[in-house]
Order: sequence, then structure tokens, then C-alpha cells
Amino acid sequence: MTLDNGEKWFKKGRTALKIQYCPACEKYIFFPREMCPYCLEVKPEWKETTGRGIIYSYTTVRRSSLSEFQDRVPYTYAMVELHEGIRIPTNIINCPVDRVRIGMPVELAWIEESKETIPVFRPAP
Amino acid sequence: MNISGRAAVSGMAELKPEIDAGGRSSLELLSEVASRAIKDAGLRKSDLDGLLVTPPAEDSCFMWPAQVAEYLKMSPSYINMVELGGASACAAITRAALAVTAGLCRHCLCLSGGIWDSQVFNSQEGKMAVMSRAEIDFELPYGPMGFNSGYALIAQRHMYEFGTTVEQMAKIAVDQRQNALANPDALFNKQAISIEDVLNSPLIVDPIHLLEIVRPCSGAAAVIISRSEEAIDMPNVPVYLLGMGEACTHNSIIYSDSITVSPVKWSAARAFAMAGLKPVDMDLLSLYDCYPITVIVTLEDAGFCDKGAGGFFVQSHDLTYRGDLPLNTHGGQLSFGQPSYAGGMSHVTEAVRQLRGEAEKRQIKNNRLAFVNGNGGVMSTQSSLILGRDKHDVR
Ligand SMILES: [Zn+2]
Repeated sequence: MTLDNGEKWFKKGRTALKIQYCPACEKYIFFPREMCPYCLEVKPEWKETTGRGIIYSYTTVRRSSLSEFQDRVPYTYAMVELHEGIRIPTNIINCPVDRVRIGMPVELAWIEESKETIPVFRPAP
Repeated sequence: MNISGRAAVSGMAELKPEIDAGGRSSLELLSEVASRAIKDAGLRKSDLDGLLVTPPAEDSCFMWPAQVAEYLKMSPSYINMVELGGASACAAITRAALAVTAGLCRHCLCLSGGIWDSQVFNSQEGKMAVMSRAEIDFELPYGPMGFNSGYALIAQRHMYEFGTTVEQMAKIAVDQRQNALANPDALFNKQAISIEDVLNSPLIVDPIHLLEIVRPCSGAAAVIISRSEEAIDMPNVPVYLLGMGEACTHNSIIYSDSITVSPVKWSAARAFAMAGLKPVDMDLLSLYDCYPITVIVTLEDAGFCDKGAGGFFVQSHDLTYRGDLPLNTHGGQLSFGQPSYAGGMSHVTEAVRQLRGEAEKRQIKNNRLAFVNGNGGVMSTQSSLILGRDKHDVR
């Protein structure tokens, strides 16, 4: 990944979920890009999000062919729609896979790995 | 300029899909199927002056069209590769029709297929080879299961928005298996399956079961496109290209505005507009099927039923070759197999067979018009075709 501005998505020690934003188009942009893809005129800025949203869709992965995930099954791979209106791929944690529902309110959480900090979501109180 | 009816399928051939290609290479399969298609069209190899290929599965893609031309000792005046995933085959037909209509070539060979290698397919490199940079960077760290989880997200949301049921989705696999039982070339043509069988097969990514997932394999298909006035004097009943339309709105499904709406909404509308026809006019549907949900969304967005009613629609129609809505009469990729990029061509070859009246045991009675749809990626690029036995002048 070649993101500048120190906004690397999985940067170790992150505490805020920032998403690109084009002030001219008044639109959030994900995944990160060099130019706003709506107008192709403006370099987007980074904006901190609320970190809150709802589950737009999800699936339970029962068998994973990815070596790092084989001991994690079953797990929830999901699309979360942030309050800001933009959707991002993620995992849902702290929730049994059979309790996950579309429309469920969720909030940002972090998984600390040795080299990365990974933004995920958990059920919101 | 409307090119509806100006080009036609004049020849075609297809190899029987195989799990094990016995050590043969993609080029070997392509040359065999090309040879058969040329014979079918009543042409000589020297008559072919156009070549469109889809990417091979296992070989290097670099200069692939030239590699194929060299192997076949062709010197085409029109040559290209079409890479739109599962939409590549339909898109190649469209590009061939444009080329022969514009006079860039007379007879264009569309070649598709290759060797499926389970080791490459299951390796990390194999998985990453079909992923964009954005998917590798932002999706892979969360453990998606490639196409399986992409379509699972769609199916789950479709159930939530419209009340579609797992039984309705399973019925597509069941009906298509019935079709495959009448197709000696299908990979899975021995045993009928029931809705219970599908729902009792292992859940891989909710709500998708093992029997709802396409089976990759090796194989190849070839279609020759000629100008209609030439095709009329050739041995086969010409199958005219009456409508063509394409659309693309995203690559990864994460970035689709609504994951339950496919760009087929636009590709089909464009194809029907070109042909001056409506969904209700179609006798046969040949819809790209990597999973049942693909078929449901395609039926809705191509206009065969209302949005959200796709599940009920398949439940209330018999999709077999004996039924009131023949759909994927070759068994679809779910039962015929998915021989690499030739999987998408199987929907074209089956439509041609049916329209020519050569589908033998599974021949449908009303066989004048077919809607064919190619789908690339996770409901990403769509290429729709309307094929007809009559020239049907719309101008
Ligand atoms: Zn902008």
C-alpha cells in the first residue's frame, strides 16, 4: 500500500478511523485515491469519522482457505456502512456469528497485531 | 448506426469439460476446438482473418493473442484479447460482430478456454492473481473467500431486502442439474439433486452451500462470427446477433452503489433496445451462473420479473428444457462446469445449439430468440446478447 500523509490503513498504533473526503464534491471516498474519483480535479483530504455505522451485509466464513484465518473460523466478513454514508469491508468481533444481522448498529474497535493495527467493528451498546 | 442482425454465428464448437486435462496445455485445447469450429462453419483455416481470445488460465498472458495466432499459424487482420472475467466470452462476440460489420475482417474466431490447475487455483498467488490492488490492500486482511464471499454478501442482502429464501436459490441448482442430465457433455450429468440435497450440502459462506458453487475445470469453446450475408450461404442455420449491450459500475462488490442491483440493468436494456425486443419475447435464457444468486439478480435486472421478485419467479417457473422458462439448458456452469473463461462461452454455445435446433434430448420447442448474459467478477462487468434465428430488421 502506498498511502502518504501517514494515513496508512493498518498503521500500528492508530486510534482514529479517517476516510478521504472531497470538499468540492462533498463526498467521502473509499478506498483511498490520489485524486477524487468523482471530479478528478481535487486531491482528497482526510477526515475523521464517527466510527459508528450499521452492518450493510455480511457472511459467515465457515471454512477459510487463507492460512492466517484457518484457526479463526467461523468468523464474520462484513460490509459496514458508516454514518458518513460510505461502506467499508471489515470483520465483526465480540459477537457470535449467528447473532450478526443486517442493520445492526456497530462501532469501531481495533485488533492489535504485531506489525499492524486493524480497524474492525463490534456491536454498539 | 444500428448493427442489429448484421453479423451472425456461422460456426462453433465446444470441448467436454474435464477435471483433469491429462497434461494437455491451453494451446492444445484451443487448437482442437478451433479445428472443430472451422469444420462446423464449412470454412478453411485460411478463411479466418479475425482472432479474439480470452486469457488462458495457466499460461502467461503476455502477448497471448499473438501466442495463439502463432500456434495456429494465423495472420489475422484483426486481433485482440478480451479480459472482462466471466463477461469476456459475450464481450468477444460483440467485438467480433463490430469487426466484421465494420469490414476489419470477414470471419472472426472467438476462442476461449484453458487448463484449470487446482494447485495454482488454491495457492495464495492464485488467489491474489484475480484480486485488484485495492482488494489485496483493504479486503484480504479481513479474510474474504474470493468470489464466494462476494456473492454471499449479495445473497444475504437480497434475502434481507426482498425476503428471498434459501430454497428459492437452491431450486436453480436443482433445475439446472435436471438440464445437465440431458447433456452428455456436462461435468455433473449422472445424478439428480433435490432442494434438500443442496441445503444439506456443507455451508461454505452463509448462505451459499457447496452445491451452489461453480466447479472450475479445463475445457475450451470456439465461436465464429461472420457477416450475415455470408453466413446465409454457409452450412449452418445462421444465428443472428440482434442485440448487444454492456455495462460496468464497479470492480469489487464493496463499491457497488447497491449490491443487490447488477449493471445488467443497463447492459440488458441496451441489448433489448438495439434488437427492438422485450424480455417477454425470449424463448431461452442463457444466464451466467457462478452461484444461484447471480441468476436471480440477472433475471430481475434484465427485466424478466420485478426487482426483488427473482426468488419467487424461479420458484414459480420450471427452468428445465421441458419447462415454461427454459434457462441454462446445458446445465449452466453449476452442472456443466466452468472451464475457465470458456464457462461464459458455454452460455453462448448452448443458445446457438438451441436456436439451430441441435440440442438433441434437451431441444426446446420454441427456439427463435435467446437472451444470453455474461457476468464478470462479482456482478461487475456485464455483457448481454440477444440471439435470433430470424434477421428481424428493426431499421
Ligand atoms: Zn471531487
